[in-house]
Amino acid sequence: MRIFCIISSIIFLTAASCYAGPAGGGPDLSPYDRHIMYQALVLFWIGVIGLITIIIIKLREVKRIQEMGLHKDESDAPSLD
Amino acid sequence: MISRRLEEWITERYDTEALRRVLRAKKVPSHPLEASYFTGGLTLFLFIFQFITGMALSLYYVPHSEYAYKSISDIMTKLNMGWFFRSLHHWGAQLAIASLFIHFFTNMLLKSYRKPRELVWVTGFIMIAVLYFFGLSGYFLIWDQRAFTAIRVATGGAGSLPFIGGAIKVFLRGGIDVTQETLTRFYAFHVSILPMISLLIVGLHVLLVQVHGMSVPLSLKDREGKPQPFFPNVFYKDLIIWLSATGILVTLAVIVPVELGVKADPMAPAPENIKPEWYFLFLFQTLKFFPGQIGLFNGETIAITIISLAILFAIFIPFLDRRSSAGKPSPAYTYIGVFYLLYFVVMTIIGFFY
Repeated sequence: MRIFCIISSIIFLTAASCYAGPAGGGPDLSPYDRHIMYQALVLFWIGVIGLITIIIIKLREVKRIQEMGLHKDESDAPSLD
Repeated sequence: MISRRLEEWITERYDTEALRRVLRAKKVPSHPLEASYFTGGLTLFLFIFQFITGMALSLYYVPHSEYAYKSISDIMTKLNMGWFFRSLHHWGAQLAIASLFIHFFTNMLLKSYRKPRELVWVTGFIMIAVLYFFGLSGYFLIWDQRAFTAIRVATGGAGSLPFIGGAIKVFLRGGIDVTQETLTRFYAFHVSILPMISLLIVGLHVLLVQVHGMSVPLSLKDREGKPQPFFPNVFYKDLIIWLSATGILVTLAVIVPVELGVKADPMAPAPENIKPEWYFLFLFQTLKFFPGQIGLFNGETIAITIISLAILFAIFIPFLDRRSSAGKPSPAYTYIGVFYLLYFVVMTIIGFFY
């Protein structure tokens, strides 16, 4: 949920900051700008794959804990208060 | 530290533990076709994505026939990253509709509509209609020649419906022909009326899914495994799919940016070989197969009546398929589902290439 909130906020804040200024990109770009755009796309995918890897690792950890039964609260556990 | 204080502030005032208990108790069935459950979540995600990119575009769009085209052109050429957001909105719409169709046909073939989930099916079906109208109204806002002609054809087609067609046509166009009035109406539909309706319908759809739980296909009842908790197991898998979808969307927006045609001229003839968006192609192709006149009747009217009856039949499938509601196999409705799927796919392909 936190990741989803972060992605949504980034998308919305980036949109809100798109003030009416000179165009920063578009379909008719110079070869250099096009190169920068594809480079940004590659970095974006590295970020996406990185996040997916973290989620998969976390999911495996959650499953391992569930299989061991450690996620359940013990009803007779002593209180620390 | 701030987040902890905020959490304490909220928990002091509201019973958040009850909500947590509900979320912890939510289970999702586990079986070989459990991947079908993610299609609904993906559609919802893409829908939210459309809301966000749509809000960004609405900050700059001008809903007037004189300025609409120019405002889109300005978004694409003058606004920093404007072309990217327009492309994201365009590709988001394509993927949302594709995802909705995958969700629809999957549930149709797995008979997820059977008792007691009839209303889940009906609300989902209403969402298809709403999404189609979203697509149509959004397409027109561009105010280019292709969109203008497409709306003239689409609203004219709606006018071919017997008895109520004329009234629907005038209501959609806001007059006899496609004009500024139509643009004002379609803008109102696209940015306020349809979002409100979809929030209500999607909310009801999701609520009903929570009430009834996920449907398990009849043929897989014996192969059902131990149910898995929604939080965090299924939610993490959902996140992976949503992240991948975002990646695909961004890639499409960058590599295949959406273009803008020539400005609409109401007096200009329709462009040659004009075709609607891919999700209208099966309807378009069906209309093309019908001759102009069949006996005493207008061919287009007959075609639209048949299509409307087929759609009505699909809405009432949960109430007609008594065998699957009774927990028995109903191969007749499987064949009907396969027929609907094949018809949609084949006609879309024919419409795309010919």
